[in-house]
Amino acid sequence: MALDHRRVPGPEESQAPLLYAVPGEAGTEVPGREAASLRPLLARAGLLSQAEGSAYVELGGGTKVLCAVRGPREAAEGRGRLLCEFRRAPFSARGARPRPGPAAAEALAPAVRLARYPRARLELTALVLQDGGSALAAALSAAALALADAGVEMFDLVVGCGLCRAPGPGGAWLLQPSEAEERAAAARLTVALMPGLNQVAGLLGSGQGGPPESWAQAVRLGLEGCQRLYPVLRRSLLRAAERRAAEAAQPPLASKSVT
Amino acid sequence: KENCRPDGRELGEFRTTTVNIGSIATADGSALVKLGNTTVICGIKAEFAEPPAESTNKGYIVPNVDLPPLCSSRFRSGPPGEEAQATSQFIADVIENSEIIMKEDLCIANGKLAWVLYCDFICLDYDGNILDACTFALLAALKNVQLPKVTINEETGLAEVDLKQTNPLNIRKHPVATSFAVFDDTILIVDPTAEEEDLATGTVTIVMDEEGRLCSVHKPGGSGLTAAKLQDCITRAVTRHTEVKKLIDKVIKSIKPK
Repeated sequence: MALDHRRVPGPEESQAPLLYAVPGEAGTEVPGREAASLRPLLARAGLLSQAEGSAYVELGGGTKVLCAVRGPREAAEGRGRLLCEFRRAPFSARGARPRPGPAAAEALAPAVRLARYPRARLELTALVLQDGGSALAAALSAAALALADAGVEMFDLVVGCGLCRAPGPGGAWLLQPSEAEERAAAARLTVALMPGLNQVAGLLGSGQGGPPESWAQAVRLGLEGCQRLYPVLRRSLLRAAERRAAEAAQPPLASKSVT
Repeated sequence: KENCRPDGRELGEFRTTTVNIGSIATADGSALVKLGNTTVICGIKAEFAEPPAESTNKGYIVPNVDLPPLCSSRFRSGPPGEEAQATSQFIADVIENSEIIMKEDLCIANGKLAWVLYCDFICLDYDGNILDACTFALLAALKNVQLPKVTINEETGLAEVDLKQTNPLNIRKHPVATSFAVFDDTILIVDPTAEEEDLATGTVTIVMDEEGRLCSVHKPGGSGLTAAKLQDCITRAVTRHTEVKKLIDKVIKSIKPK
């Protein structure tokens, strides 16, 4: 590996201790769960001071995603553009430090009224702090919330929902899998829905899912999950707006910054 | 009002400091530190590696500071920029000079196996005074690290990791950094915000240990300082160390019963 002069040097290679774990640890039995049960979701918008819009989404059981939006900034060419960057923190996965994965930026584009931002670009960065399963879905929801928090004109919020199919011939589709379930899964699927318009914004699936009816059933299950999560995200936006209004109404204490 | 800063603070006053330890379950140790708006999260992951050839009884601690575009519009995505590199090097120096952990403690089998602690800092919100926030996050995260017990199987020569038994790290010293912004070598303000840092003519960071011992002074260029002013900085850094130490102890104690 070429010497990287920009970072503090470490060992040439290293292995995760998990590889050497004593096999005696009986796999912690995951208690049977209802396939369509949703994990509790915490969403908070407007928490970074330096970004135009920001959102934090946490799924019960350990998926934490933070998203920030900058813009609109001036860009050279004609159409408005949405540039998305999805990154995982090096400490976000159990075991080895993860390499960057594929992004599903196209899922957000249909929701934003890019025609209203000619010659401008919106930069969006989603950071997965902890991956406890369904990280991509949580990141999509956080990204849409951050865009809305930044005041970007949108058609609707995008809600993401992850699913995975347990291995084996009769494997059932589970909504919002935990990290252990995702690792053992035979197929994974992420759906992004715009619930108000009832339009699917994005769909990303891979693996051995079985016959097409099984995939169709999974997509339906995912869309239903998105609809159920929608009110939580909207409420968080309302609360963020209320908080901002309350702060603005306070008499400025030697105003922090003149905007 | 005299001697008052734009956000209402006195010249020697710090912003509200909060610390949250152990929030990232996938990391071996983690801490989230907020100094006013500046937010830094530190996650530590421990892996195995061979000890370096020149010192076979030492492990590695590799700090890496990431200033992503999400924390401020002045940063672009891509390889670490100047400020990120400088901060990473500063943290590496603090670890080396303050002996917060002895690298010998990280060795498992002399010449064969040692721990590598990857300390990754991600700045979530950049409002000045990154150095203080990163040092504090490092200290809090290291205190939170639990390393699983490792034994070397004599027959196979491979390591065996028992994830159920964990031990905390042996933290020998507690370095705390205090940063000042200098204006024309007459005015010193503590804990500058991003706005104040941009306007300052120089910065100074003092890293203190317990018992009032000086670990390092970091003064990257900028306008000069008289010896008397430097002494004032050191005195302020000593009081700051007591405040921070009290905060960390309080937080560690509150999470002890797990």
